[in-house]
Amino acid sequence: MAREKTTLNPFNAVADSNRRQLIELLARGEYTVTEVVQELDWSQPQVSKHLSVLKQVNLVLERKEGRKRIYCLNSVALKPIHNWIMQFEQYWIGNLNSLGHYLNEIQKNED
Amino acid sequence: METMQKVEPTIIEKEYNAPIKLVFDAWTKVEHLANWQFPMKGFKCAFKETDISPGGRTLHKMTAPNGFEMWLLTKYEEIIPNHTIVFRQYNSDENGEILPNPQMPNWPKELQTTIKLEESDNKTKLQLIWQPITPSEEEATAFDMSRSEHGNGWAGGLANLEQYLEQQ
Repeated sequence: MAREKTTLNPFNAVADSNRRQLIELLARGEYTVTEVVQELDWSQPQVSKHLSVLKQVNLVLERKEGRKRIYCLNSVALKPIHNWIMQFEQYWIGNLNSLGHYLNEIQKNED
Repeated sequence: METMQKVEPTIIEKEYNAPIKLVFDAWTKVEHLANWQFPMKGFKCAFKETDISPGGRTLHKMTAPNGFEMWLLTKYEEIIPNHTIVFRQYNSDENGEILPNPQMPNWPKELQTTIKLEESDNKTKLQLIWQPITPSEEEATAFDMSRSEHGNGWAGGLANLEQYLEQQ
């Protein structure tokens, strides 16, 4: 099956659960590779590989501080993805949960 | 000969502690829909068009807590009281013009949602069936890929990101 290269498509890049875990970590702040290795207990090459993919699709930004490379999320690029995710099952699952809360609420008010 | 792509629909089931009439009304009356038709707490929902009938359509705006707005056009195909509701929903602009999805050109353009209701002991079982209609091969693949981690949830486990984006 022909697939677009992961490196070219930010949506495919976040479809990988490891990279989503990495995004979740970076949502807490800035990290160096060493810090990510400690937090996620991944090997250093594994961390570097996933960071590099996210960097290539512009979801993660890198800056240098002395000899350190520090990574953070690029919120401008992540927002459209997050909005797009809303179209998925999560949208319907969320809707069905909202309906449940609403039904409970209005029936309580009737009593 | 046209090759039809077969795609398994996504099916989500849920049981509500409410009579079937109320659940049906919640799906078919705007005064109910506006109170719940959003995926998370903190969202708002406002209707601009309100014709919920076979062949009719609604247009509503969903506003996320971070202020992001999304217009949704819903075209109703079939409504059987206390039983079935079939519709297709699209991302649109505020005039109900369907928007293309430049970020994901292969996402299915026609997605049909079927709501089936069944009553038992004053509770209501709901089945939501979500499927692309006559998708191209690329669309079928995109749809399948989006739920490759079904159960785990493609968007699941992104609570930090959720919070982070709200603060941006």
